[in-house]
Amino acid sequence: MVTLKRRDKVLTVPAGKSLERILREAGILPDTVLVVRDGRIVPLDYRPQDGEEFELIDVISGG
Amino acid sequence: MRCSFCANEAVLRLRHANLRLCPEHLVARVEREAEKAIREFRMFAPEERVLVAVSGGKDSLGLWAILTRLGYQADGLYIDLGITEYSRRSREHCEAFAQEHGLVLHVVELRKELGAGLDEIAEALRGEPCAHCGAIKRYLMNRAAWEGGYAALATGHNLDDEAATLLGNTLRWDLEYLARQYPVLPEGPKLARKVKPLVFLSEREMVAYCLLRGIRYIYEECPHSVGARSLFLKDILNRLEDAAPSTKITFLKSFLRVHGKLPKPTETELRECPSCGMPTGAEGPCRFCRIKERMAQRAPA
Repeated sequence: MVTLKRRDKVLTVPAGKSLERILREAGILPDTVLVVRDGRIVPLDYRPQDGEEFELIDVISGG
Repeated sequence: MRCSFCANEAVLRLRHANLRLCPEHLVARVEREAEKAIREFRMFAPEERVLVAVSGGKDSLGLWAILTRLGYQADGLYIDLGITEYSRRSREHCEAFAQEHGLVLHVVELRKELGAGLDEIAEALRGEPCAHCGAIKRYLMNRAAWEGGYAALATGHNLDDEAATLLGNTLRWDLEYLARQYPVLPEGPKLARKVKPLVFLSEREMVAYCLLRGIRYIYEECPHSVGARSLFLKDILNRLEDAAPSTKITFLKSFLRVHGKLPKPTETELRECPSCGMPTGAEGPCRFCRIKERMAQRAPA
């Protein structure tokens, strides 16, 4: 399984799909987040392996 | 995915610009786009001093970093609104950034200015915090720029902010607001020139820029922004952008092309506030001084 952490929420999904597809299937528009691992940006065409963990950083701010 | 400019692996795809960028070329693009906007709209010249309004967020701290990297003389201004934990943390980010880069940061505290933080002010005046926040910040930013002799006051408004504002103004066909929406607003008597160098850079690019440059910013939102209309408008635009990339940049750039054809905004006759001497369109004291008077009249706790 692949783990994606977004603020205080955790999303766990099966491996084998690109990050873009994972985000879309979770109802997240890919351009509204950056996927980060160990402080580095991970491109959305990357296909995570089982056991990998990522952080989703929201890019939208303001009020 | 290869970078559009070199053989390195790209980390970000910008569909609206038809680019795939490696870290190095992403940083270069962000700085180049800001520089282009500064020159295109004649925001300020290299010999002029600029005051950057910093909130501790990605856009304003990113902007300060960009201006410094481009060689501009940019000092920072942080307005401590006294919103408890949120203000404490955002201030820490600004102070840490200034210290790390050896930059000058001016701090103005609302508690020293008005004797209370924003929440107490809003409660005392029976209004929404955001309604007072904008007016208070505009006054303090302008006063700081004037007193410090800065040629321009720069804010971190980005493409997403500007497109959302434009959508909101267009939905109401608010010609006054539309006429006032522009990347540079000229100076006036005791009024600093207002500039937005990030006008063509997306929020996503700014987050990536901060990550790549190691700029630590406050990730959490102002507690008062929950449910804000601008976030709703940004969400609509992001859905459009996803279906039709470059919707936002085309919307904004097309607007700027016809901006000159809009009726000129009504000119407000400005007088000097009898209390503080800063310009105001009001008869008698300016809004800031009126808030100050009302806060001073409160019974001591």
